[in-house]
Amino acid sequence: MTLPARHAARPASFAATAEEHLDDVYGYLVYLTRDRSLAEDLTADTFEKALRLWRRFDPARASARTWLCQIARTTALDWFRSEERRHKREERAAAPDRIEHDGGEGFSPHIEAALAELSAGEREVIALRVLLDLDGEEAARVLGISPTAVSTRLSRALNKLEEKVSVNV
Amino acid sequence: MSEMLLDEIRAAKPAAPPALRERVRALAVQEPARAPFLARFEWKRLVLVAPAALVVAVVAGSVIGLTRDDVATHGDEIAASGAAGAATTTSAFERAEPQRGALKGFALPPATADSATPVPPVPGQLQRYEAELRLRVDDVEELSNATKHAQQIALQHGGSVASLEYDAPAEGLGAAQITLRVPTARVQSALAQLSQLGTIVGQRYGIDDLQVQADTLQSQIEATQRQVAQLVARLESTTLPAPDRVVLQSRLSNARQKLKGLRESLRGTNAEARTATVYLTLTTEEIQPGAVGGSRLDDVKDVLAWEGIALLYVLIVAGPFVLLAVMVWFALRLRRRQVETRLLEQN
Repeated sequence: MTLPARHAARPASFAATAEEHLDDVYGYLVYLTRDRSLAEDLTADTFEKALRLWRRFDPARASARTWLCQIARTTALDWFRSEERRHKREERAAAPDRIEHDGGEGFSPHIEAALAELSAGEREVIALRVLLDLDGEEAARVLGISPTAVSTRLSRALNKLEEKVSVNV
Repeated sequence: MSEMLLDEIRAAKPAAPPALRERVRALAVQEPARAPFLARFEWKRLVLVAPAALVVAVVAGSVIGLTRDDVATHGDEIAASGAAGAATTTSAFERAEPQRGALKGFALPPATADSATPVPPVPGQLQRYEAELRLRVDDVEELSNATKHAQQIALQHGGSVASLEYDAPAEGLGAAQITLRVPTARVQSALAQLSQLGTIVGQRYGIDDLQVQADTLQSQIEATQRQVAQLVARLESTTLPAPDRVVLQSRLSNARQKLKGLRESLRGTNAEARTATVYLTLTTEEIQPGAVGGSRLDDVKDVLAWEGIALLYVLIVAGPFVLLAVMVWFALRLRRRQVETRLLEQN
């Protein structure tokens, strides 16, 4: 795995970076959560965190988009954890409050149905590699796994998606 | 995987709603300044720091080794030992250029003044004088001759042989270690002759100033003598009460004991100063002059060795803790990943 150039140009400003990669982060989070309103909140949280960490961002280590996706992933995982804890509490007390997924706007119904059957892990690799068009190394950096593992995971996810799509059609 | 499906995924990329865009823009207004250097420090840069630290350690070791005070040159020693009244101990092992002495049978070689001339004791000053000579001889026969010869030299200078160890176990190899006591006044001549018994591969002289010690003892003796005289005078008084007499007699007895001890010490110091000790090593083995201790390079090596030992010690002490920390870190990382995988599969 090769690192980005050591002296990569620093982005002009946080505002410019946020503007440039807002759709990417939002799209990634929509795929991860399948909930647009939740993705909006998590995107805002992601950029808040990014702003706090901006002083430490080193473009030589990762591109701004990769860095932002890493923060977005951590933010989403934190949310999943807190939701899990909340569900456990509610399961003990009353019936759980189910999340209404509405992430499929713009898709044909059969793709939307197929995506709904994939796990968040499968959706996120599709989001990173297909939707955001990150290369294998960038996606690996976001996911914290090797590029080979990314390829394997992507291949499985796409095969599963195709299979589900063909079944739904 | 059909390209159509991928194209559809790409075409349906969610776009951030305007409200979210405004929210993020509002956030981005307060952009912080660049982080200070330490905050941007990368551990990978230790790759550069480690060799630099090594260079610093080597340079520091060299500087300390080259500037250590306890290594005096021949000239330094003379200056130090010549300083009147200075209670100094100087010792140096000189690297000697191999010099071939004339050893022909049992004929005593003449004492010659050359570059191996030993540091002389300072006349009129009490000093403990020690010298060490390492000589190489060609074979066991010459070793035997040189050993006998060394004893003769000591006796001829009014000295004696304190100890002798002669060992020639293997073919053509052997060594003898002889400790000689020679009157200090004649030690220079003895050393000059001893140095002719073989090729000098190393020599060390140590001079301890005993004058201060002797002066101190002398003044203590005089003070005690005065005390004894005063006590005797008081005891001669006929009007002295009996209890006081008992106390004074006890003090007088103690003072006389002390005086006796001080006189013995002074005699011992004078005797020590009168006799020099010469440690003579004769060997048939090849010894590189550079390998003999005492050179600046050896001091640098010593300092570097100590630095290495200190580093090893730190590694041994800190090693288990570092290993434990790394294991804990790996365990936590593995646990976190397992949790993440489960969360992603559930959602």
